[in-house]
Amino acid sequence: MVLLGKLALGFGATVVLAGAYTFREGLLRVDVDESRGNGSHVHVWLPAAAVPMAMHFVPRHQLERAGQHAGQMMPLVHAVAKELQRYPEAELVEVRDGENYVRIRTHNGTFLVDVDEPGETVHVACPLATIDDVSRELAAFAPGA
Amino acid sequence: MYHTERQAAISKTRGFEGPASAGVLEVGRVEAKKQETFLKIPSYLYLNAQRRHSAMTNRTRRFIPVIAFLAAASLFAPLGTPAQTSANQSSTSAQAERWLHVRVISTNAKGETVRVNVPLELAEKVLPAIDHDRLHNGKVRIGCMDCDGVDVRTLFEAVRTSKDGEFVTVQSKDADISVAKKEGQFLVHVHDKNKPKYSQVEVKVPMKVVQALLSAGKDELDIVAGLHALASQGDQELVSVKDDDSTIRVWLDSKNVTD
Repeated sequence: MVLLGKLALGFGATVVLAGAYTFREGLLRVDVDESRGNGSHVHVWLPAAAVPMAMHFVPRHQLERAGQHAGQMMPLVHAVAKELQRYPEAELVEVRDGENYVRIRTHNGTFLVDVDEPGETVHVACPLATIDDVSRELAAFAPGA
Repeated sequence: MYHTERQAAISKTRGFEGPASAGVLEVGRVEAKKQETFLKIPSYLYLNAQRRHSAMTNRTRRFIPVIAFLAAASLFAPLGTPAQTSANQSSTSAQAERWLHVRVISTNAKGETVRVNVPLELAEKVLPAIDHDRLHNGKVRIGCMDCDGVDVRTLFEAVRTSKDGEFVTVQSKDADISVAKKEGQFLVHVHDKNKPKYSQVEVKVPMKVVQALLSAGKDELDIVAGLHALASQGDQELVSVKDDDSTIRVWLDSKNVTD
C-alpha cells in the first residue's frame, strides 16, 4: 500500500512537473466568434512552448512556402516581439469607432489583440517569447536569408 | 616490523599501527561488511518498514519541511522568476522609458477615439528593421528638401543659431499664424477663424529634435535620430489640435498607461 502510494506520488509529481514545463511560456489562444448566420466559431488553446517544438516536425517545404510568403516581414516581427518583451504591461493601441473596438496590448508578457465589431469577435493571445521564436525560425526560410 | 617503508606509511595513513598482515585483514572485513550492506534489500521497501526499522531518524524528520519547501520552490521557480523579472523590468522601465502618446478624440455622434502609446526606445529599435517604400534604415526619403529654391537645411540652421523671437506672424480674417523660437523650442501656432467653433493648432518641437531629423543625408529625414533626441527631452506636449469636432494630442512622458 505504501509502495503504491509512493508510486502515485512519483507519478503525480512527474505530471505536475511536466505540466509546469509545458505551460512555462503560457498559453497561445485564438478565439473567433461570428454571431452572424452560419458564422464560424474557432477556439484554439495551445501551450505556447509546444509551438516552437512542433515547428521541428513541420515538413521543410511547408516552412519554405511560409518563408516565401511571410519571411520578409519576419525580421520586423522578430524585432517588435523582441523589444516588446521589455514591456510586459503596456497599452499600445486602442481604437473605438461606434460599436467597433480594437485593442492591442501586452499583459504578463503576452501579446493580446482584441477586436469587437457587430457580428464578430476576435481575441488573440500569444506569448511574446513564442512570437520571437517562430518569427526567427521563419525568417531563416525567407528568400535570400 | 614492516617489510618496506612504503607499507608502514600506508598502514599509518589507515590509522593502524599494527603489523601489515593485520591491516589487510581489517580492510577485508570492512569490504565484506559493505558487500553485505549493499546486498540487503533496502529497509524502506519492506511493507512493515516502520515497525521493523525506521529509515528516518528524528534528526532527518526535522528536515522534511525544509526539503518540502525547497522542492516546492524549485518547482515553481521557473514560473515565478520570469514574473518577478517582468515586474522589476516594468518598474525600471517606468522610471527610465519615454513614451510617445497620441490621442484622437472625436466629438461626433459615433464618439471615435484613438489612443496610441509607443515606447520611444521600441520605435528606435524597430524602425531600422523596416525597409518599405520611402522608409529604409530608419530614414525617410522626402523629395522637397529644396522646395521651390528654398533650402530647408540652411533655413533651419539660420533659425537654430538665431536668438529667441517670433519669426513669422500672419494675422488675417481667416486665420492667425505665428512661427517662433523660444527656449530651444520651435513653436507654430495656428488659429483658424473660419470654423464655426474654436479651432486651434499648436506644434512645439524641440530644436534638438529638428536638428537630429535633418542630420541624415540629402533629401532624407533621420527618424531614428529624431526619436533618440526626443527621448532626451522632458515631459511635454508636442502637438495639440482643438477643433469643433475633434481633439488631437501628441505628447511625451514616462507613463505607459492611458489617461
